[in-house]
Amino acid sequence: MRKTLVLVTLAVIGLGLTTAGSAASPALTAKAPLAATASSCSYAAIQPELFKRRVLTVATDSPAYEPWFYNNTPSNDKGYESAVAYAVAEQLGFTKAQVKWTVEPFDASFAPGPKRFDFDINEISYTAERATVVSFSVSYYAVQQALIAMKNSPIVKHHTPADLRTYVYGDQIGSTSLAFINTELRPTHQPSVFNTLNDAKSALQDGRIQALVADTPTAQYISSSEIPHSVLVGQFPSTGEHYGLLFAKNDPLVGCVNKAIKTLTANGSLAKFQKEYLGIYTSVPTIKP
Amino acid sequence: MPARESHGGAYLDEHRLLAAGAPPPSSFAGNGRGSHLLGGQRAAAISTVSTVVFLGGVITLFVFAPGAAAVRHTFFNPQQMKEAFLGDPSQGLYSVGKGLILNIEMFLIAEVLILSCALVIAVLRQLRNPVLFPFRMLAVVYTDVFRGVPLIIVIYGIGFGAPALYIRGISTQSDFVYGIAALVLSYSAYVAEVYRAGINSVHQSQVAAARSLGLSQWKSLRFVVLPQAVRTVIPPLLNDFISLQKDTALVSTLGAVIEANRAAQIDSSTLFVYSSYTVAALLFLCLTIPLARFTDRLIARDVTRRLAGSGAIR
Repeated sequence: MRKTLVLVTLAVIGLGLTTAGSAASPALTAKAPLAATASSCSYAAIQPELFKRRVLTVATDSPAYEPWFYNNTPSNDKGYESAVAYAVAEQLGFTKAQVKWTVEPFDASFAPGPKRFDFDINEISYTAERATVVSFSVSYYAVQQALIAMKNSPIVKHHTPADLRTYVYGDQIGSTSLAFINTELRPTHQPSVFNTLNDAKSALQDGRIQALVADTPTAQYISSSEIPHSVLVGQFPSTGEHYGLLFAKNDPLVGCVNKAIKTLTANGSLAKFQKEYLGIYTSVPTIKP
Repeated sequence: MPARESHGGAYLDEHRLLAAGAPPPSSFAGNGRGSHLLGGQRAAAISTVSTVVFLGGVITLFVFAPGAAAVRHTFFNPQQMKEAFLGDPSQGLYSVGKGLILNIEMFLIAEVLILSCALVIAVLRQLRNPVLFPFRMLAVVYTDVFRGVPLIIVIYGIGFGAPALYIRGISTQSDFVYGIAALVLSYSAYVAEVYRAGINSVHQSQVAAARSLGLSQWKSLRFVVLPQAVRTVIPPLLNDFISLQKDTALVSTLGAVIEANRAAQIDSSTLFVYSSYTVAALLFLCLTIPLARFTDRLIARDVTRRLAGSGAIR
């Protein structure tokens, strides 16, 4: 009995070795031929590449923040990112009802292993390092960082590059805004880092931090609708940062989605969404980091 | 012995089992040492083979799984592990090693406060003076509440609640202070129960003896009960201390305390890899494993001491 058990175990391991050896796909070394997959992006052709056939599974974090989404309900087709997701789906030949939303925490979105979505739309900025682990679509929004403070804070009037180093900042973990504080503003006091943007907002209200950095639309929304007596001090010049849809590394779908985003840029749809959802944010003063 | 004589059937059964190759009912039985040794050799061979097969299987899975390359890149990237340990401000990366210093500071300060607060609470619960009834009540309610509420909620409650109150002196403390306050509140409740168990483990006769020698209730507690009680509960106290070391990571939710785990989290979400978490885990193990071994040694020493004691009495 014991002998057979050992033999069976050995056989199973041997089998595992051979199959694993042949199935081992060097996921991180090979680049998928994007152009080749993009040649046929018909609804029928992309079915095998989907997480679930005949359904476009789109992920975002919860809570989903305004003005990117409204009422934490991505499926209401309101808010910039919700609108972009539905427009991309339409380009790929899906109806509105075929778009299924799923919650993917930001921290889990880049974990190795199979993804539980076709793409993730969650204000995720493209960086070269991140792109070694996941694939990004082309830009669907060019990002600029902006500064939010309480009205009575000295930062509202004094924000020369030298002044900016002296304040106490705070931000959400994982945001490129936090990286912006550390690499561009380089404050002398270590910035606070919160689990969620909401925690950072409450810290700003209670005076535990003096300023918060967020992308301009988020910053506008926070200062105009969320925190009473807060103000958008200004936005920083672009660093070339942009938001991209997040895919599993080398997902064959990227090529087709890129094609869809390019179409939406060319036909003015993205500009229209920006005007509709982000449009109140037109004249924002620029400050230098 | 009398049991065996009166149940001859059971005795025979034992022999039948032995003949069938089953291990003797009590492997510590004196005779039959030869066959025991033989079994030992066979057991050693089997355990060697099974260890090799098990470890081989695990390593095989880890090295040859289809996603192994991705997992190695994400969790065990030496370059990124080094970066995470040292930090790189130009890239917005924090140092996990530097963060660990904060963890160590927090748990050392907290542990000292916890050990003293908890002892006071445990003693309060033990005192039988009717005047002290409200304090006894308070101690019971306190341990019930703070053992029941998740630590993370206590941390949030104090760290976000206290500043919102705008009370001079309380609302302007640093997150470091709020965090330690929350750890002390929560852990004192647990540790008080550990002390209480230790106090209850001291036999009533000890108290009776102390009182009959003319010691007051307080003095018999202080000089007779507590020294024995504390010595008994040192291993569980160290166990709670290990747990506290890890829970200091939760304080980072308040924002300003960038300890090892938070530094690792920031590095992870900046670069989209988890190697920084591996660094944090290894650093925490470097702290907790020596303490765990030390606890084992204390327990072993206590056991031998007690056995030696009973031998001397005999």
